[in-house]
Amino acid sequence: MAVLDVRDVAKSFRIPDVHRTTVREHALALFRPRRFRDLRVLDGVTFQLARGETLAIMGRNGCGKSTLLKIIAGIYAAERGHVVRNAGITPILELGLGWNPELDAVDNVYLMGAVLGLTLGEIRDGMDDILAFAELRPFASLKLQHYSSGMAARLAYAVAFHAVREVLVLDEIFAVGDVGFIMRCQERYRALSAAGHAVLLVSHDPRIVTTFCHRAILLEAGTIVMDDTPERVCKEYLRLVTGAR
Amino acid sequence: MSVTRSEALSPAAVSGLVWTLVRTDFKTRYQPTVGGFVWALLKPFAMFLVLMAVFSFIFGGDPAYRFHLIIGLFLWDFFAEATKHGLVSLQAKSYLINKAKFPAWVLVISAASNALITLGVVCVAIVVFLAVGGRAPGPLACGLFLLYLVQYILIVTGFSLAASVLFLRYRDLNQLWDVAIQAGFFVAPIVYPLSIIPERFHFFLYLWPPTPIIQFARAVLVEGTIPTARAHAFLAIETLVILAIGLWVFRVLAPRAAEYL
Repeated sequence: MAVLDVRDVAKSFRIPDVHRTTVREHALALFRPRRFRDLRVLDGVTFQLARGETLAIMGRNGCGKSTLLKIIAGIYAAERGHVVRNAGITPILELGLGWNPELDAVDNVYLMGAVLGLTLGEIRDGMDDILAFAELRPFASLKLQHYSSGMAARLAYAVAFHAVREVLVLDEIFAVGDVGFIMRCQERYRALSAAGHAVLLVSHDPRIVTTFCHRAILLEAGTIVMDDTPERVCKEYLRLVTGAR
Repeated sequence: MSVTRSEALSPAAVSGLVWTLVRTDFKTRYQPTVGGFVWALLKPFAMFLVLMAVFSFIFGGDPAYRFHLIIGLFLWDFFAEATKHGLVSLQAKSYLINKAKFPAWVLVISAASNALITLGVVCVAIVVFLAVGGRAPGPLACGLFLLYLVQYILIVTGFSLAASVLFLRYRDLNQLWDVAIQAGFFVAPIVYPLSIIPERFHFFLYLWPPTPIIQFARAVLVEGTIPTARAHAFLAIETLVILAIGLWVFRVLAPRAAEYL
């Protein structure tokens, strides 16, 4: 049974010709109705993710990748179709998720861990591992506002990798830290994959897709135009972005 | 070692999330200031002293005026603070809503937590103040007061749930609410006794939620009387209506909250 079953998912955003975001604007323009146009972002997207499988989603900017991940994660509601989740999902859609710059690393780990679904006991027990993985033990009591972006990103990776459920959803996050840290992340990722976790990975990098993924799909203008081996999808993706024939 | 999770957020995880949000909000708000939490208490106390000094000249004939004032003021402060924070709660934590799936109501509930902590402390202060003034409330009065506080919290929750999702669509609601709060301070009988207003207007004043709560609390704590069953029914209906509307609006609009951030 697939851990994730995405069936005929469609999503549009209603774009008004004039943006009104306040009561005052709505009141002043009470008799001037707005016109809306539907921006179709996803249309009839269907695929399955098997247990232990790593699936890449590729596509040009604006093709609907991030919207699709948000629908899969349950953050956006699909307009049509549905997503059957037969396993828990950990979405890592942006590094630095939930950081409060006025709190130190320990408090931020609690905040982000809790948002990702860990209990307080699990966060407490994993605190040493998380700080060690991020190489931030000496800076545990330093406020995040004094961290470099690289340090904050390392901490985000460390918490996210600690809170993994059966399905890991990653949006463009394999490019942070020095070589040593990237290697540790990749090692950690391989361990998760070997342990049977399924991974849905959005990337523009053919090297990452061909190295880590079992399968890839290519999204273009909100629809899946190709579902094949990573090598073939990467080739088609490069053809699309470079305009080569 | 990673923790493998298969189910939706467990009750333990949700309660842990609420606790973490409350704790981090509290730390963020009070830690950087000298005296921290004392400042939160100082505001209503300072207001009480100023208003007491000014209005005792007008209403000084009533020996219970100072008790009425402190109850009204502290209960009002909770309403104003909790609703203001509840209204902006989702927007203030937009960086969480847009990146992870978890129950959004947790953010709304936890936003009122600091006001709730302050309310707990000032309630003890009210009882001590009454006891020192020779009007120590009995167990029944304290029980009824607690009942009113629960309804008060439910009213604030209902308002905050609806307002938090509406604020994402109407970004000046906080300014409108600030104006309403300023006017509402004088609609509720905080600095003046309700008896100076003609009785035919009382019903309308009671529609403003802090009014019945403040009046009922004064009745049981200061006057030693219990409001009628009809009055209790009125408050219960008002509470249920506000809570039901809040839950309904939140249920309808919250699923698309992330799209408005």
